Amino acid sequence: MEESLVEKANDILERAIFAAAEFQQFNQEQTDKVVEAVYKAALNARITLAKMAVEETHIGIWEDKVWKNVIGSQLVYENIKNEKTVGVISYDQNTGISEIAQPLGPIFAVTPVTNPTSTAIYKILICLKSRNPIIISSHRSAAHCTGEAARICYEAALEAGAPEDCVQMIPAGSREFTQAVMAHPRVALILATGGTGLVKAAYSSGNPAIGVGPGNVPVFIDESADIPFAISSILKSKTFDNGTVCASEQSIIVEEKIAKTVKREFERQDCYFLSPEEIKKIEPIAVVKDTMSMSPFIVGQSVEMIAEKAGISVPSGTRILLAELNGVGKDNPLSVEILAPILAFYSAKDYHSAIKLCIDLNYLGGIGHSAGIYANDEKRIMEFSQLINAGRIVVNTPTSQGAVGGTFNLLPPSLTLGCGTGGKNITTENITVKHLINIQRVCRRKMNDKFFSLDEDKYFDENCKEEELRNEYHKNH
Amino acid sequence: MKIAKKKNSGTSIIKIINKKTLIMLDFDFNPDTRILTCIFKGRLDTIISTQLSAELDSKFISLCENEDPQALLDFSLVFDLKEVSFISSSFIRLCVAGKKRVRNGNFSITNCDPFIKKTFKIAGLDGILNVK
Repeated sequence: MEESLVEKANDILERAIFAAAEFQQFNQEQTDKVVEAVYKAALNARITLAKMAVEETHIGIWEDKVWKNVIGSQLVYENIKNEKTVGVISYDQNTGISEIAQPLGPIFAVTPVTNPTSTAIYKILICLKSRNPIIISSHRSAAHCTGEAARICYEAALEAGAPEDCVQMIPAGSREFTQAVMAHPRVALILATGGTGLVKAAYSSGNPAIGVGPGNVPVFIDESADIPFAISSILKSKTFDNGTVCASEQSIIVEEKIAKTVKREFERQDCYFLSPEEIKKIEPIAVVKDTMSMSPFIVGQSVEMIAEKAGISVPSGTRILLAELNGVGKDNPLSVEILAPILAFYSAKDYHSAIKLCIDLNYLGGIGHSAGIYANDEKRIMEFSQLINAGRIVVNTPTSQGAVGGTFNLLPPSLTLGCGTGGKNITTENITVKHLINIQRVCRRKMNDKFFSLDEDKYFDENCKEEELRNEYHKNH
Repeated sequence: MKIAKKKNSGTSIIKIINKKTLIMLDFDFNPDTRILTCIFKGRLDTIISTQLSAELDSKFISLCENEDPQALLDFSLVFDLKEVSFISSSFIRLCVAGKKRVRNGNFSITNCDPFIKKTFKIAGLDGILNVK
């Protein structure tokens, strides 16, 4: 790498580390004042930023991006505003253990092209609430709007007394430079939201990372479900911002016996089932077959645009394109994650076949992310949930909004969704403030009387076996 | 901001009075040991640090006027933080700039409380800045 880029990376990290040093002196009141100011500024800019994002990226729908900005600012703020993130955050009288929150240090945050401004706002809020400076690396196709979101937040933060350089942006475009900053020894944590390559780069950097990658969300509609309600709910989610949320539905799986009813309901609610010939036309524009990954050119595009690109004609006002498939994997390219208004549809001969299909889809690039079920049978809900490897199994709920949290359920609102070890993540939780603090435990002396009354001789006697030692441990003296 | 200066047998004192907080920066230059001690007080936030930087510049200029410029490069610089309760990143930069001013690198920070010591530790500068 060029020497000038190394110097540039060092300069960015030096600024960040100085900001971290100042920030760790802040008390809770000073911290909360900064966070409140940032939230207000971001919320006030929700419409401008939404329009900028669509204009720059040509992805999604600006009205939906307004809602994403509201989630990233207002809902996140309401969720974290009363969290204790400075000093003693808890004391347990029974154990005598106090917990003390400490900031981590500079956080390197990567933001995606699909939710650029909302993710930037959300990450800035949770970083500042935990007294960590943030360095943002935006997707190259969303650099301007992400930079504007960061600028608005930074200026508000400074006005409220935050340290200089508590929010920095690195220039988009140079992968080499991004990786150099990511691997810089002064980075405390990488908070990466994006594709598989990015997440792998984050984990390979040598720094601690929370890297959240792709999903491939299967949704099972059980025979016990209210079908019109289920379809309406799915459409709320899959049409939201033209399907750009990584937790949006990717496949609908039903039993054969309700397949006709479900298909009819989709059609009644302005969805269009593609013919096998039309599926063949859509496949090459939606999926890069060699890598079996979605084409970046289809992300967040409208149904009309997709139909036009594929050279097919669909009824005016079509909300979603559905492709009925009979398999999962490379012979069925539309079975992979596609962040656009295209849904795979499967009709399985019985309940067990349907669940097995869900498992296959879940493991096709979306392990640990999210899944959905529509049912009124609690036993099936729990059975499905235990078989699926997903951080969030959302029930009778649109998966985009349900997984992000804060609207249809009480999950912490978040634009970075942990995928557990399946997604090479350390957590399955929705990432929020608590993941950005080091918790120190002050452990006061509380003697384990059983341990200190053991007969030591028995423990040094080779003939003394587990049963006797167990009795010794539990003996009342 | 009001600036008051007074001369006192080789020691010059500058007081900076802000509207809200009384911040004080005292200079103590010992011509025999060639140690310039800068005694900071109060909460050294970004605004105050910027003002202090200007005052330090003035002090060096005035020292240059009275001393042999070549000899001046060999003096030692000490920042005394005994009565400092908070330091901003700007003040940390001021310390780094202070170290660069002395050719022999004889720079140190003394009397800081553990909280401020930790701040320099986090900044990775406690060794370089010789924080005592």
